[in-house]
Amino acid sequence: MNEPQLLRISHVGVRGVVGPGLTASHVLDFASAFGTFLAPKVPVVLGRDTRASGVMIREGVVAALLATGHDVIDLGVVSTPVIQHTISRIGAGGGVSIGASHNAAEWNALKFFGPNGIYLSTAEASELLDIYHLKKFDFVGWTEVGKLCLQDNAIDPYLDDLAQVFDLESLRQFKVLVDCCNGTSALILRRMKEHFGLNLILINEKTEGVDFAHDPAISRETVGLQLAPLMQPVGADAGFLFDADSDRVAIATEEGNPVSEEMILPILADYVLPRVPGRLVITNISTTALVEEVAARHGAKVVRAPVGRQAAIDALTGYRPEQVALAGEGTGAVMMPQFRFVYDGIASMLAILSMMAERKARLSEIVNAYPRYSMLKGQLPFASRRLPELLMEIQMAYSDGHVTSIDGLRVDWPDRWFHVRVSQTEPVVRVICEQRGDPPVTLFEDLMGRVRSYV
Amino acid sequence: MPRREHLLKIGVSGIRGVVGDFLTPSLACAFGQAFGTYIGRGRVIVGRDTRMTGQMLQHAVSCGLLAAGSEVVDVGVLPTPTIQIYVADTGARGGIALTASHNPPEYNALKLFNSEGLFFNQYERGELIDLYHQSQFRRAANSEIRGITQDYESGPKRHFERILRHVDVEAIRRRRFRVALDSVNGAGSAMSCQFLEQILGCDLRAIWVDPGKPFPREAEPKPESLTELAALVWREGCEIGFGQDPDGDRLAVCDENGRVLDNDDVLALVVDAALALHAGDIVVNLTTSSVVEDVARRHGRQVFRTPVGEANVVERMRAVKAAIGGEGSNGGIIFPAVHLCRDSYTGMAFLLHRMAQTGKSISQMAAELPKYYRRLGKVSYEHGRLGMLMQSLEQAFPGVPADRTDGLKLLLDDGWVHVRASNTEPLLRLAAEARSAGRLEELYGRVVQALQQS
Repeated sequence: MNEPQLLRISHVGVRGVVGPGLTASHVLDFASAFGTFLAPKVPVVLGRDTRASGVMIREGVVAALLATGHDVIDLGVVSTPVIQHTISRIGAGGGVSIGASHNAAEWNALKFFGPNGIYLSTAEASELLDIYHLKKFDFVGWTEVGKLCLQDNAIDPYLDDLAQVFDLESLRQFKVLVDCCNGTSALILRRMKEHFGLNLILINEKTEGVDFAHDPAISRETVGLQLAPLMQPVGADAGFLFDADSDRVAIATEEGNPVSEEMILPILADYVLPRVPGRLVITNISTTALVEEVAARHGAKVVRAPVGRQAAIDALTGYRPEQVALAGEGTGAVMMPQFRFVYDGIASMLAILSMMAERKARLSEIVNAYPRYSMLKGQLPFASRRLPELLMEIQMAYSDGHVTSIDGLRVDWPDRWFHVRVSQTEPVVRVICEQRGDPPVTLFEDLMGRVRSYV
Repeated sequence: MPRREHLLKIGVSGIRGVVGDFLTPSLACAFGQAFGTYIGRGRVIVGRDTRMTGQMLQHAVSCGLLAAGSEVVDVGVLPTPTIQIYVADTGARGGIALTASHNPPEYNALKLFNSEGLFFNQYERGELIDLYHQSQFRRAANSEIRGITQDYESGPKRHFERILRHVDVEAIRRRRFRVALDSVNGAGSAMSCQFLEQILGCDLRAIWVDPGKPFPREAEPKPESLTELAALVWREGCEIGFGQDPDGDRLAVCDENGRVLDNDDVLALVVDAALALHAGDIVVNLTTSSVVEDVARRHGRQVFRTPVGEANVVERMRAVKAAIGGEGSNGGIIFPAVHLCRDSYTGMAFLLHRMAQTGKSISQMAAELPKYYRRLGKVSYEHGRLGMLMQSLEQAFPGVPADRTDGLKLLLDDGWVHVRASNTEPLLRLAAEARSAGRLEELYGRVVQALQQS
């Protein structure tokens, strides 16, 4: 079970290493299942990120959707938020995003959306999965086959909507350095420069015929590679790094310091909460406790769901949109209700720049104003069979804390917490410890030791 | 309604079926990937006819090709011969045409071509189908996946250029022939108008040249399906009328009196024109009329016969370096100096060239051919009875020399009969030819009787 995983088919969709894992046949079958799952003959919006394998997958998805009787509106290479925006703008019946987000270049994936650009709920996704496994697809007769329509201007209406929410004029004062990681953000930001006169300097902005300049992972480490060291030489006020499909973002300060991806959600909560008093912040149980501290400052509450996009979507469906201020996770993926609850890195960037404009503050001042939390993360392979035993042992050992067991085991004390869980994407146990102030080294090492003893 | 198993056929001639529950995008994609694996990495030309399912299948096939690491060149809607010439012209690894040729619109199929733009030989076809069944496809990783480029422009130019080397364009243009055309709204729609009107300077009267519309008539061009073309020729006073099939490889011809010529006679006329340009022997299938032999004799040339099927004819043409070949009954004309493919455009150009050169009308030219009487037909049969049927047929013609290369052909002194099993349906195809109508009916009647009795 500790072989490197090459393919994962789950209620989140299909994801894998193209070639040895994810094949054309998976693509055809999954897209045929989605075409069967959707209401008959509804138009479907399609887009992809910049990976070379995206073209192959696009061909398969187009064929399957046409064969199941749907017209396809292909946006070409665009970000996932633009796909979601277009679905609701034109009233399409659903959408497909081809792209593996923050995964390395050899990966690719299919993400599915329902009407209004909303991710499928777990119940809907399970139905889709059942159709996929049954392989009984509703191919239409030859006269009913759908038509393909190419649309390459979907970015403009999306930008116009962003301009309704953010005062883009006021953001022209900043010199902003962006590492696009050869992803779809480059296309949006180029357009934003042209249309709204923002002072954006783009690096790794080529989107065709190139390998990614580096892994599109959103983390302090990747920001530290190219973006952070360039900040001072360029004299930039803020630095942003996007993943390939632009739903996540990480930042570097004007001083050239990479900021932990965990900081994005608390910073945005601090920006959004004063505008919508009394609303909730929804996040997962692996995300920094700084979120609670920021929320408390604004008199708001935090709801914590299990880790993973699907759990976040399900948590959101429990509330009316006007009850929620924002939702997100420690990975740098945040959604705001102005944007119909879509993880959108571009909107996150504009919110952070707006915060700098409104507070007349430098980015480092904003980041450094929060109390210091230290997080330690580790991962180890495991034996599935003994996992319940392991979690029980840890729970017994730390019985003085407050226990949450909705996803693995989380134990909380007033100033620190830890979370031990099995990854959804890799065959590893993840251990996360956080403490206000200095790192919780002893706690972390004890937990890692216990996990290791069960391998 | 054909039997269920005939709604999808996967075999050595490729994959063909009714789109929907039978020919699915998954099958087309897998076949594309098998093809890409078989021919090795490089460029593959992909085009299609105007069937409503063509776009869907083209995307499925492209997906499979890209997944195998091939680079795809999308040439859009083009006649099959144009796609074949494009493959040969551009040094591609191979080509795929999405077309079910003359089959009804609910069908579609993949025609597969090698790097010369020719059908694979039977051994290669066997290897490819084995590879498909084994599903041991090449699976390109992200870094090995190539893209798709489009070229909707250069195909027709490449094709015309090859034809125009062999005909006297100026002579044709000077005559400003009034020509009728029926392209069945197929892949030839735009290109045939361009060819006849702009290149050959004809005064064109065209019907059914809208590639966005469904086929308005039976897809196979033959007298019964070309009544509108015949009416158009008559109404507009045209000197000749051309009828194509949906993928522009087959040609039928209507004379200035509105009479659709027998396809065997069309082939004979084109053979005559070709041999005047290009010395060499002739290859036709077993069912083609003996009129070709008479024309060959006039030029002092030999006729070789092959089993029915374009691939069989082409293979033999290559082997004997034939000057021209074809399949009479189905309107196939193959002129290797243009390309070893069935090509309606070469046929049109040769006939107009001949009319310009001789000053004769098409009906005059046809009338000068020796007169044969032909009858085609089909009867269904039960599996397992084929051998017996053939035996009783042979017994009905005692002592007559037989050719068994494709079914049974019995060669009488004053005619012949040919019975073979269809490759695609559980049918026996019957053909008979004689020098008089009476003798034809007698021969045909004996065949039917022999089959019914057994």
